[in-house]
Amino acid sequence: MKLNKIIIKNFRSYYGENQFELSDGLTLVIGDNGDGKTTFFEALEWLFDTSKTNKSESNISEMRKMELGIGDVDEVAVTMVFEHGGEKEICKKFIFEKNSDGSITTRDFSFIGYAIVGSERQNRNGQHLLEACFDTVIRRYCLFKGERELNVFDNNTALKTLVDTFSGIKQFDSLVEMTEFFEQQSDSLVTKELRKDKKQEDAIKRIEYDLTRVQGDISDTRKEISIKEKAVSDYETRMRVLEENQDACENLHDIKARIEQKKAEQRRLRSYVDLDYNAMLLDDMWILRAFPSVLSEYQRKVAILSREKRRLQKAEDERIAIEKGKQEAIKEIQKLANDATPLPWNLPDKETMQEMIDDEICKVCGSPAPKGSDAYNFMVNKLNEYLEHIRKETELAEQSEIPEKPLFENSYINELHTRSIQLSGDTEQEISKLATVIADRLTFVQSRKIELEKATRDLSEAEDAKMQILIQTPDLTEEMLDKSFKDFKGLSDSSKRASIDLLELQHKLASLEERKAELKEELNKIVPSNGIVRVYQRVHTALDKIMKAFEAAKNRNVEDFLRMLESQANLYLKKLNAEDFRGIIRIIKTADGSARINLYSSNNTPITNPGGAQKTTMYMSVLFAISNITTLKRDEDYPLIFDAPTSSFGEFKEDVFYNIIDNIDKQCIIFTKDLLKFDRETGERKLDYEKINQLSCSVYRIQKQAGYDEEDLSTIRTLTTKIK
Amino acid sequence: MAAEKLYDIWAKRNPNWEKRYEDSVIKNFSDYGKGVTRLGDAKGKLFGAGYEIFIIAFFIGLYYNQRRKLIDDSTKIKSFGQPIQYWGNIDSVKGRKAYPKLREFIFTALIAKTEFDFIALDKNLVTARKAVDALMQTMEEYANWGFHFIEDKLIDNPNYFYKETAFLEIFLTFDTNSSTLEDDEPESLD
Repeated sequence: MKLNKIIIKNFRSYYGENQFELSDGLTLVIGDNGDGKTTFFEALEWLFDTSKTNKSESNISEMRKMELGIGDVDEVAVTMVFEHGGEKEICKKFIFEKNSDGSITTRDFSFIGYAIVGSERQNRNGQHLLEACFDTVIRRYCLFKGERELNVFDNNTALKTLVDTFSGIKQFDSLVEMTEFFEQQSDSLVTKELRKDKKQEDAIKRIEYDLTRVQGDISDTRKEISIKEKAVSDYETRMRVLEENQDACENLHDIKARIEQKKAEQRRLRSYVDLDYNAMLLDDMWILRAFPSVLSEYQRKVAILSREKRRLQKAEDERIAIEKGKQEAIKEIQKLANDATPLPWNLPDKETMQEMIDDEICKVCGSPAPKGSDAYNFMVNKLNEYLEHIRKETELAEQSEIPEKPLFENSYINELHTRSIQLSGDTEQEISKLATVIADRLTFVQSRKIELEKATRDLSEAEDAKMQILIQTPDLTEEMLDKSFKDFKGLSDSSKRASIDLLELQHKLASLEERKAELKEELNKIVPSNGIVRVYQRVHTALDKIMKAFEAAKNRNVEDFLRMLESQANLYLKKLNAEDFRGIIRIIKTADGSARINLYSSNNTPITNPGGAQKTTMYMSVLFAISNITTLKRDEDYPLIFDAPTSSFGEFKEDVFYNIIDNIDKQCIIFTKDLLKFDRETGERKLDYEKINQLSCSVYRIQKQAGYDEEDLSTIRTLTTKIK
Repeated sequence: MAAEKLYDIWAKRNPNWEKRYEDSVIKNFSDYGKGVTRLGDAKGKLFGAGYEIFIIAFFIGLYYNQRRKLIDDSTKIKSFGQPIQYWGNIDSVKGRKAYPKLREFIFTALIAKTEFDFIALDKNLVTARKAVDALMQTMEEYANWGFHFIEDKLIDNPNYFYKETAFLEIFLTFDTNSSTLEDDEPESLD
């Protein structure tokens, strides 16, 4: 089978009709990310999908849909023109129409084939024609999407499918089954007859007992081996995955540490930045920023009130003092009105005066003062004056005990004044500093905000880097990478232990099998009394040998098939890595019946961590080998179609690689973004003509039509250009 | 027995405010009316107890030195459940600090800004109650103007205050040096 042409019409980004003419050897379709490589591949998948009638609107070119007027009709079609016992064509298509409300209806799905017979073009059923020329099994080994699908042995049934499809070993299966059946039948017949033999009864019983026991042990040991093999295989897989991803593990570990550090930094900075300014107005009394003027107003007012109060109090005090002074003065003046210089009112005292009156003598001058005389009357007057003075004084004393009502009964102004004093000094200082405190704080927060922005940027960069690592290791989850980093040593120890256990179990099984054979031999050696049983015995021995021969032959054939595949693959590996270290491909059958492709050095050391290009060429070599076997088997060549198989190629010599593929005599279509070169002037990726001109294969360039709107799918159109 | 201090008499009081601001301002920015005061804990309110937004409004009026008489209809007047003496005692609220000292500054501002014959008060010619009435009136009128100011901003832009620094920015506009703002002509709100 050879593909001549693929025509894609209105399929997603392929607007209108896009024709690809394919050469006998390699056709390269070069496009950058998003240019339509995978869409091309998916158009083929859609064409080859025989499972359903898919006329999904999502397959229609948005641009075409957009452009249609109401009632306009167009079609989505993918056509493949090929040679397979004459020129043939299959075409899948459906019609779409724009309704008056702008919606799209799809209809008339068809899958038609054509065969050119002579000069005639005959209609065929598309699905039948496809299956006849390019069946599902073959397609499975012809179409590969991405690098990951290159490993055809990635699941447990892959080897069996491959062997069944291409080796013809399947025919052995019924023969093996048949011989097993014969062996079992004859075995049970012999055993049954021997039991009847009275003479040999004891010997047979003993051997049978031993056989049952050994058989039980064998079955147990096999189970154990199977479990161990699974464990060893699991450990190996995990170790291999781990080794392959050691760099990724370490990088991930570093990046995660960085992410944690940045998160902590973010938290710290957030705590500075996330301020509740509303609460701070109250809690930190920032609301008092403009208060100093109010406070001084208060202080001034209270000072004035206080002064005024004191002034009034002083005036009142003076008034009272003057009042008192006046009374005293009046008294003084009254006394001074007498002519003579009077004695003080209390001289002589009351007792002396009374004695002088009683004795009628003035004892001051010694003159007699008889009753009725002037002197006598003077003394009586003086005594009366004295008594009057005492009475008045007592009265006055009593009077002065009732206090006069003060001017100020309350001391609220004092309270205000005390508060004013309390608020001056430190508190006043604090309030007046608030403006500076707030300004400083806001400046501080602003700088932390800038730092936070940077930390957030750094964090998102680190997260991107982490994503990048995870994308590059699609087989592994983050947890697996994490775990691998931690228990590499444990894993390696467990793996070693399990291998040793397995070896011991295998020895044990071998000796059990030996023992079983011995017992069987013993059983065979028992000479039955009955002649016909003796014949049965010989027939069974013959059937047993035949059965074993078939089993061995089957296994041998699988091995042979794998060795053939291996040697073919190594031929391709040699070609693909012409000037490079390449190693040797080994395809190893594993315990669970699947196979593993490994790269070995010629000294038998496994190459545990082959580079991306090494691995890809290894897988591709196996694919080419399978393709070769297919050719032999079917007497027909089939194309190989790869979507971005070389995405992990680092500094690979692309031109060399593609030239080799072009020369290995197989029709290949490879979609790739290799051979594009970054143009510093325009910032675009352009074809690397220097390398392309050295290629002998056909080259197509697909790319998005310029001037598209990044957010509008209906502006996306893949343009197709034949370069050579 | 020593007479009760003017401050203490004042602190037992509860300022009045106009009901018209209850929904538009007080409930909008505080947990007022939520029963238990959770102080901003609930639904991202900017302030906790209702009195907090009252304090903000008061200081806005104070710094603009603008008063607005309360409506002369007692049915359209309300007051908070907590007397002034408890304002700012919110030590137990997560992430908040108590600010009891702020009450004293409010008091000093009222003394500074209230026209009242304190000499007559000390002479016992008027009662302390009368004095405190005058202080409360000043307080209420400043806050009333503040509420009016906030509401006015909200009418222009309902999201005006949902910027973390919106209230702070208002307070940053006031001059910290000049003795008073009396001479400045503030923007007319009427």
